[in-house]
Amino acid sequence: MTTLRLIEVALGYEGRSVLRQVSLEVRGGEVLALVGPNGVGKSTLINAACGLLPVLAGQVLVDGDDLSRMSPPERARLVAVVPQGTSLPPAFTAFDVVLSGRTPYLGWLDRVGKADEQASLMAMARTGTFDLARRRVGELSGGERQRVLIARALAQSAPVLLLDEPTAHLDLRHQDNVLSMVRALAVERGMAVMMSLHDLNLVARFADRVVLLSDGGVRSIGLPQHVLTPDELASVYGVKMLVLAHPVHHWPVVLPG
Amino acid sequence: MLSVPRSRLAWMAMILLLGLSLAACSGTSRGATPEALGIVVNDGLGRELTLAAPARRIVSLAPSNTEILFSIGAGGQVVGRDELSDYPAEAFNVTSVGSVYGTINLEAIVALDPDLVLLSELNPAEQIAALENAGLTTYLVPNPLDFEDLYANLSTIGQLAGHKEEATALTAALRQRVASIEAQVVGTSPVRVYYEVDGSNPLAPWTTGRGTFQDYLVARSGGVNVVSELDGWAQISLEKLIELDPQVIVFGAGPYVPTTVESLASRDGWQDITALAKGAIYAIDTNWIDRPGPRLVDAYEAMARAIHPEAFE
Amino acid sequence: MPSTPGVPHQALDPPQVALSSLPPWLWALVAVMASALLNAAIGPVAIPPGIVVRILLSRLPHAWIEPSWPATFTTILYQIRLPHTALMALCGMALGGSGAAYQGLFRNPLADPYIIGVASGAGFGAVAAMAAGWPETALGLAAIPLAAFVGALITVLFVYNLARVGRAISVTTLILAGVAAGSFLSALTSLILLITTHELRRAILWLLGGFQVGGWEPSLVMLPYLTIGLALLALLGRPINVLQYGDEQATQLGLNVERIKTAVIVAASLVAATAVSFSGIIAFVGLVVPHLVRLMWGPDYRRLIPLATLGGGTVLLMADIVARVALAPRDLPVGIVTSLIGAPFFLWLLHRARERKFDG
Repeated sequence: MTTLRLIEVALGYEGRSVLRQVSLEVRGGEVLALVGPNGVGKSTLINAACGLLPVLAGQVLVDGDDLSRMSPPERARLVAVVPQGTSLPPAFTAFDVVLSGRTPYLGWLDRVGKADEQASLMAMARTGTFDLARRRVGELSGGERQRVLIARALAQSAPVLLLDEPTAHLDLRHQDNVLSMVRALAVERGMAVMMSLHDLNLVARFADRVVLLSDGGVRSIGLPQHVLTPDELASVYGVKMLVLAHPVHHWPVVLPG
Repeated sequence: MLSVPRSRLAWMAMILLLGLSLAACSGTSRGATPEALGIVVNDGLGRELTLAAPARRIVSLAPSNTEILFSIGAGGQVVGRDELSDYPAEAFNVTSVGSVYGTINLEAIVALDPDLVLLSELNPAEQIAALENAGLTTYLVPNPLDFEDLYANLSTIGQLAGHKEEATALTAALRQRVASIEAQVVGTSPVRVYYEVDGSNPLAPWTTGRGTFQDYLVARSGGVNVVSELDGWAQISLEKLIELDPQVIVFGAGPYVPTTVESLASRDGWQDITALAKGAIYAIDTNWIDRPGPRLVDAYEAMARAIHPEAFE
Repeated sequence: MPSTPGVPHQALDPPQVALSSLPPWLWALVAVMASALLNAAIGPVAIPPGIVVRILLSRLPHAWIEPSWPATFTTILYQIRLPHTALMALCGMALGGSGAAYQGLFRNPLADPYIIGVASGAGFGAVAAMAAGWPETALGLAAIPLAAFVGALITVLFVYNLARVGRAISVTTLILAGVAAGSFLSALTSLILLITTHELRRAILWLLGGFQVGGWEPSLVMLPYLTIGLALLALLGRPINVLQYGDEQATQLGLNVERIKTAVIVAASLVAATAVSFSGIIAFVGLVVPHLVRLMWGPDYRRLIPLATLGGGTVLLMADIVARVALAPRDLPVGIVTSLIGAPFFLWLLHRARERKFDG
């Protein structure tokens, strides 16, 4: 079972420190949520966890192997990212996009093979985007694009999956679809999933554990009901919060107090 | 994985090497006929040309060479001329293949199936290369620096065209004429002469210095070129010219030259020059003096008469 | 898992329906060969097209064709026309292919082969060589394309190093540095032209129409550079597709972005510099042909680069025909024709693209 581990990681851009002493672990089959105020460094942490942003201190390890010692293809075979904002070339088809997930397995001179096509098609089937295959991504809705990107990450066949604000531009129905799918994938394929969320109410429903970031560091890590307490949230977000139990499902519901 | 050579210098060296090999290959090998018994001459570019027999079909790409060919009786062998070849009148019967200053119709030249193309220093290097690459035999007639050079050109062209006797005869006639003109001006006192090539900017006109045929003619006409410290075609400032104060002004006149005797005489700021005060401004047909052909002798006579009119009374 | 064997093949085709059921590369190949034939058949001396074909066929082994035409026709075709046709085809292909590659690298449909200084460097090199009198030295006329080539490559090298910060290559800086270098070199070139007036006409003719000495040599010299460069660019089609997602996503997808960018710059600049050294600065072919191909056959660079290569050859061959016929018997420099026709055509393409609300 694959494990993504960050050990005493410090991150920043051009000498400006964003996060310090971040240590966390995500195991295969579990979903870890990253929450915190805007600008605290959630996206920065995701970029570091995939090896895109070099760390200023500490290590990022996948099954004990240091990402900073690997080439981009090696990293991409271990960690797949569903990025935020998603500027996709509008004229490419959904199938083209998913196929690009096979890049780490193709050298310069290699052509796309049957295995690559199969992996892509299966990923699209699993994410319900099969019917979108021939459509241009510029024509797709936000929710459809998001699922195509998840299909791409699946096609990458990486044991670690990172998602940066996967629900940022989605409406309620699609939020639920996307996150339940991510949760199911984690369990099905034993993927270690880490995703940043801005909506606290999604955390308890779709994540196993949560990391609360604030003030340039990790404030707490643990089960949602233990981390998302009114006092902690008030201290981090500066707003009084009420945490109630959902009347039907009993998961924590966070409301402004 | 394909790897890109890290050393940029290696790339540059490789590319330079390939480029220099191109340069080496471009030294044109002459594809002329080999017979050792035929005509062997060196042309103005220092290339050796061998013809098995005199050329029967000649294309002339310079008016001077056309004139020479007709003057030695080879006019019937000229199958193509450049647009500007206008002398003698018979030249107009020959097909034109374009102008040196515009485009030369290479295909038309090839279609005429010539065994020799005569060139002069008017023809740019690219044209010569293009003619060579089309498989044509070319010969470049160098510009003469004095009359002996002219006679040498006449002789060579006579050889190439198979009219050696006529060339020799013409040379003798020209030689005699030159001698008689020179006899007229012998013993005259030197006169300061300014020869103008282009007066479009009267404040900085173009003139001919050392090493030009015009300078040579001035000297043989008993004159002194006022711009003797300049070489070749050069510009001179009006101030300097006034300081040098020529006594005679000569210029090449023709349909493409806007300057006339009247226009020169009335130029602003030129009035103090002796030549204008004395009205000693003379025009010589540019087709005589600028074309390196037999009419250079006509130009000589005109120059001598301009500089020492008293010697021809 | 659904298994519909038909889907993968269709999914790979661009949504835009191809012109017919024939594969695009066949169309493009036929187009370039037809325009090459047409180019060789047209010239100041009228050779009937039937005769042109017979002359060409007669060179094949076991030819059974009796020569019924003057020998000069053969000379004209093989010594004058075919070398020129080959040169135009090669230069056009170079411009089309490198233009497509640059558009992929910069993710910008306004990129053309000259954007990082190839044209200004080559122009400066050639004009400097003419002014310095190098063609009159032992190097001969070959000094001009050689100087152009070296000038182009030095400029690209300079611009590339400016844009490289550590190991990252900023495409924005590439463009800006290219523009700056271009302005500087153009000014220097103009200065040289002003000072050495006797080379003015020759320099302008070169800038507009290139190296006009004929013969097979220019094409033979160009061939190795173009073969290697264009083959490399064609192979880089798939990585260039991945570049379209932006540097970050491309890295996350496992592409070694800086290496790919370097490879594209090296190959495309080599190809463009080779072409410019012999053809002068021909505008719009490298800009417009990739757009045309994109309109017809989609944005996949695996397809776009080879098709733009062939398309560039076709377009330049046709433009060359116009250049030689429009003001016959004068030859127009082909660069003038491509600008005069290319610019309005490009505006029309932009107009259409706006209507479809799509950037390829």
